[in-house]
Amino acid sequence: MAAIEIRDLTKQFGDVNAVDGLDLTVESGEVFGFLGPNGAGKSTTINVLLDFVAPTTGSASMLGLNVADDREELHRRIGVVPENYGLYDRLSGRRHVELAVDLKDASDDPDALLDRVGLSPADRDRPAGEYSTGMSQRLALAVALVGSPELLILDEPTGGLDPNGARELREIIVAENERGATVFFSSHILEQVEAVADRVGILQDGRLVAVDSIEHLRRDLDGGARVSLHVDREPDRAPSDLPNVRDVAVADGVVEGTCLEPGAKLAFIDRVREAATVTDVRIEESSLEDMFASYTSEGADANRAEPASSVEVQS
Amino acid sequence: MSVRTVARKDLADAGRSKSLWAVTLLVLFTTAGITALVGMASDQPTGEVFQLAFQLAVLTLPIVALVIAKGAITGERESGSLRMLLSLPPSRYDVLLGKFLGRTALMLVATLVGGVATGLVVVTTLGGGLDLLVPFVASLGLMTVAFVAVGVGISAASASDGRATAFAVGAYMTFVALWNLVQAGVQGAAVELGLIEAGSQPAWLEFVAMFPPNRAAVAVYQSTVAGGQVFAADPFASVWFPVALLLAWIVVPVGFGYLRLRDADIA
Repeated sequence: MAAIEIRDLTKQFGDVNAVDGLDLTVESGEVFGFLGPNGAGKSTTINVLLDFVAPTTGSASMLGLNVADDREELHRRIGVVPENYGLYDRLSGRRHVELAVDLKDASDDPDALLDRVGLSPADRDRPAGEYSTGMSQRLALAVALVGSPELLILDEPTGGLDPNGARELREIIVAENERGATVFFSSHILEQVEAVADRVGILQDGRLVAVDSIEHLRRDLDGGARVSLHVDREPDRAPSDLPNVRDVAVADGVVEGTCLEPGAKLAFIDRVREAATVTDVRIEESSLEDMFASYTSEGADANRAEPASSVEVQS
Repeated sequence: MSVRTVARKDLADAGRSKSLWAVTLLVLFTTAGITALVGMASDQPTGEVFQLAFQLAVLTLPIVALVIAKGAITGERESGSLRMLLSLPPSRYDVLLGKFLGRTALMLVATLVGGVATGLVVVTTLGGGLDLLVPFVASLGLMTVAFVAVGVGISAASASDGRATAFAVGAYMTFVALWNLVQAGVQGAAVELGLIEAGSQPAWLEFVAMFPPNRAAVAVYQSTVAGGQVFAADPFASVWFPVALLLAWIVVPVGFGYLRLRDADIA
């Protein structure tokens, strides 16, 4: 059974389609990164999943339960860090977790959860109104973990976390996934998604423009890797006749070429070594930023694969 | 059960804030304090003193109750804690009902403390009148719950705290401060339209006069202390009718607020 199933979901605000005919399936047990620039419709989609807003048309279910009709049972079995959530300023961090334990009929030890998210014993007794953004995020995560949820929904969970906190969050995501939880999290920060997600979905203008693993997306995009070779002397002729190597350039003692598949890198290096001694090698994988930009910008490079052809929307 | 947990949390939250103590003091002053002042400053009989204290309490307690209640939902909506609460099992219905019960408990505790203090004041300064204390506290308690319901209903139906405040002040002005004008306006319009003759007092006009919760509470108190029957021939002189009106004032605003909150986008 799918952890999340969204069918032909549309949400209009006035004349604007915040989400426009979205179909998405997140399989049970995967870590799914929901990616897109701000305003792409990520939050609206999650708001529908959480029954915060009603869809204009279409339907959504999680764990086989309708997000609106079965919300009480559903919310007992999922854990959520919503976007723009607030805390109760006068209640301590521990009270927040106790409240969630109460409301979910769970039996967790609040202190164990707060240990896991790294909120110190002194901090957890302070009123949440005094918390920094990072501390609030840790507390919100502890609340989400109450009841060992089958599905974790994290909306921009890294906002406000320092690099250390972001790393700890990734570790928790991995641990929860190993426990058996499906993790669905949204972000506009690409490296966060790249580091933990099994699959990513890229949303743009309320539509899904790609769903695949990071590796597949990268390959399908045909972005290739940029190989730069420092040489003792520049070859007379640029080695531009190799298959799967393009954009070859020679300048300032460096021979550069974009290699479209791993084997091409070796072939390219070998070819250059026939003519010169290579003193240094640098390889730059096409960054997720490039990939992301090519998916979400109108004027994607014409040489690149048509993004739509790589879309593999599950059904 | 979610409703109870939400209500308890709301009350605990209020207990940590200064609002509980401010409200209790305010209620204490408007009931026991005023009664004591009137009792000591004049030689009026006990019943008159209670009457005066009651007239003052129906002016002050409604605004206290409205202020306590109007942020019940909008406050959580603006801080975003509503999003956290609704991402947990409680439904909007649970949250609304829990909030209403929490704020009601807060107001009732304050009213009860005020009522008991009033009783003590009356017994010590006037020596007697305890029989009036029960209808005094009961009618005021019922009225404050009705105003809490109005405030929570307004809060549930409002998108922002500012709007809820405006509506709460509007409700106070209409029902408490300006109802004589409303009543006169309705009567004048009815005469203009030829529905009634000038000076006549048909039953529906009596109903208009009794309509706001504060007026209904006065009717409950007066008919009770006048030895009024629960079920008299004239509904406006009997106890059941204004009590039923007050109960409607509790159910209808909360129900209306729920319908609005149910369909709202919590974004």
